[in-house]
Amino acid sequence: MIYGDKNTGILVQGATGKQGEFHIGLMNAYAQQVGGKGVVAGVTPGKGGQQVHGVPVFNTVKDAMKNHDIGAAVIFVPAGAAADAIMEEANAGITTIVCITEHIPVQDTMKAIAYARMEGASVIGPNCPGLLSPGEVKMGIMPAGLFSRGNVGVISRSGTLTYEVVDELTRAGIGQSTVVGIGGDPVIGQTFVDVLERFEQDSQTKAVVLIGEVGGNLEEEGATSTDLPIVSYIAGISAPPDKRMGHAGAIVEGGEGDARSKIARMKKHGVPVAARVSEIPEMVRELFRCGC
Amino acid sequence: MKLREHEAKNVLKAAGIPVPAGFLIRSADELTPHLEELGSAFVLKAQVDVGGRGKAGGILMADKATGTRVARELFAKQIKGLPVKEVLAEQKLDIRHEYYLSITVDRSSKCPLLLFTEAGGIEIEITAKEHPELIRKVVASPLLRDLPPFMIRELIGTAPKEIGPVINKLFRIFIEKDTILAEINPLVTTPDGVVAADAKIIVDDNALGRQGITVNRDLSLREREAETHGFSYVELDGKIGVIGNGAGLTMATLDLIEFYGGKAANFLDVGGGAESERVMHAVRLVASVPAVKVIVVNLLGGITKCDEVAKGIIAAGISQKVIVRLAGTNEAEGRRLLSEKGYEMLDTMDIVVKKAVEVTA
Repeated sequence: MIYGDKNTGILVQGATGKQGEFHIGLMNAYAQQVGGKGVVAGVTPGKGGQQVHGVPVFNTVKDAMKNHDIGAAVIFVPAGAAADAIMEEANAGITTIVCITEHIPVQDTMKAIAYARMEGASVIGPNCPGLLSPGEVKMGIMPAGLFSRGNVGVISRSGTLTYEVVDELTRAGIGQSTVVGIGGDPVIGQTFVDVLERFEQDSQTKAVVLIGEVGGNLEEEGATSTDLPIVSYIAGISAPPDKRMGHAGAIVEGGEGDARSKIARMKKHGVPVAARVSEIPEMVRELFRCGC
Repeated sequence: MKLREHEAKNVLKAAGIPVPAGFLIRSADELTPHLEELGSAFVLKAQVDVGGRGKAGGILMADKATGTRVARELFAKQIKGLPVKEVLAEQKLDIRHEYYLSITVDRSSKCPLLLFTEAGGIEIEITAKEHPELIRKVVASPLLRDLPPFMIRELIGTAPKEIGPVINKLFRIFIEKDTILAEINPLVTTPDGVVAADAKIIVDDNALGRQGITVNRDLSLREREAETHGFSYVELDGKIGVIGNGAGLTMATLDLIEFYGGKAANFLDVGGGAESERVMHAVRLVASVPAVKVIVVNLLGGITKCDEVAKGIIAAGISQKVIVRLAGTNEAEGRRLLSEKGYEMLDTMDIVVKKAVEVTA
């Protein structure tokens, strides 16, 4: 496990909103299934004293911390309030902060992440589906039914594409240790490098599937930073330059960050890159077979 | 969204960065009252939303005698297919030296990145490739309001000190105006001081609202319509329409089309929550592109309700063939609804895409 396990108490910021309420229900259904703590507290300013699915709601993160043992937070608040939520949690001493919210202005994100770093917190996202360690903990919105426990880590900039890959892996009998959606924005807290570092420390993880896309060069940075065996897939080989492909960060700019050059650099470093998602399970098996 | 040159220069001017004296005109006749002030020689620059306008003939030199005629010539032009509706008439500068200055969002450090080079005026990508040692870089914390003087000294090196305040002012603009790129190229020295001869500012699409920008000009009409429904939409030049949920999965679907030798006509990410009405709008929008011969719908997600999606596809009632891959809840009901109306619902994205490519081949 990385970032948390069964014993991690989770706080949800934006607990009384439609998304917050819906996903507290799903996260706690998963916690019940695996015998974990799940979401123990919610925060919505002005709604302290209410309950959501039996989870007590507080006005501030510090209030929640006084009453509960909290190891991680998941944010569902609107874009305009998300940077504030990240900073409030970091300031209160929460060290793992998952930000699901999309469309946060990048200046806000940069500030919030810089501040969280100063407070010693790790931010996953924004604009991400969160993370799931099968059999242990779910922090975010990933559909738990597709996952199975095993020793392959997955890191991805995408949401549904991650589910597709996890579904393929599970069907092929390949379980996952932890699946992390790091987010589709240009500026994100935990990058491939950071998550790979955690996987290196994690005895359960033996290999990693790294799912990238057009924009930037964080995939190559990650792949060259670790000794863990990796299989990669890069989305966007058909993406035209200067067009934002759905994610704020998925854009080929100034002739940089296109899929072909990314794939070439990954391969040059000895990382096998799948041409299709459906090829990934067989390539992972191949990694284990050759023991490299 | 990219600001036009005159808009970007207004932003600089308001922040106290000197720009050339200039006037925005909407016809050649509007130039007449400004001829005196512009001096003997000046520049006419077409304000079009397209890169590389200089090479495309969008920037012309003129003087008092030829001004109106040259302006007329420019207004009659199409620059890379775009009509010229506005022209910036600017004084010609007595340039001593050209510098390059920019601030961008650096994904690796998650901070503003400042670039400065004394070899300005040409494309920075070329300098970066051929003489990377000439570009000085400084990463600044996004928590700073002003740059500490040492950072400015590190950037400008032996260049004139008067450039320093320009750098700090641009840094303020970068943060306060929600830009993802603020670039002055060239920043020039003249006998009258430092001047921003050209400027490029790109505002974060996620901050247009709070910057008071109501229409994103970078988007086509169809892209704007998509935006009102909360879709991400990109136009391409093939025959296969693509609808997916999630940017990554939709991109992977496009790539798979290319893998099997086909070409996508567009990219539509319906985003989260695929209720029947959203799906209907998505299908109609994608089908409204004349080149689209077949539509691939690839939706996956634990909480996507397949019956809702099926109802949306049926309600769209379009003439083109729709091939569907759905995974989620109520799969059996979705399949039943679709097959009743003669639509194909297949199991994997490989099969769906292969089929669509066959149809258009």
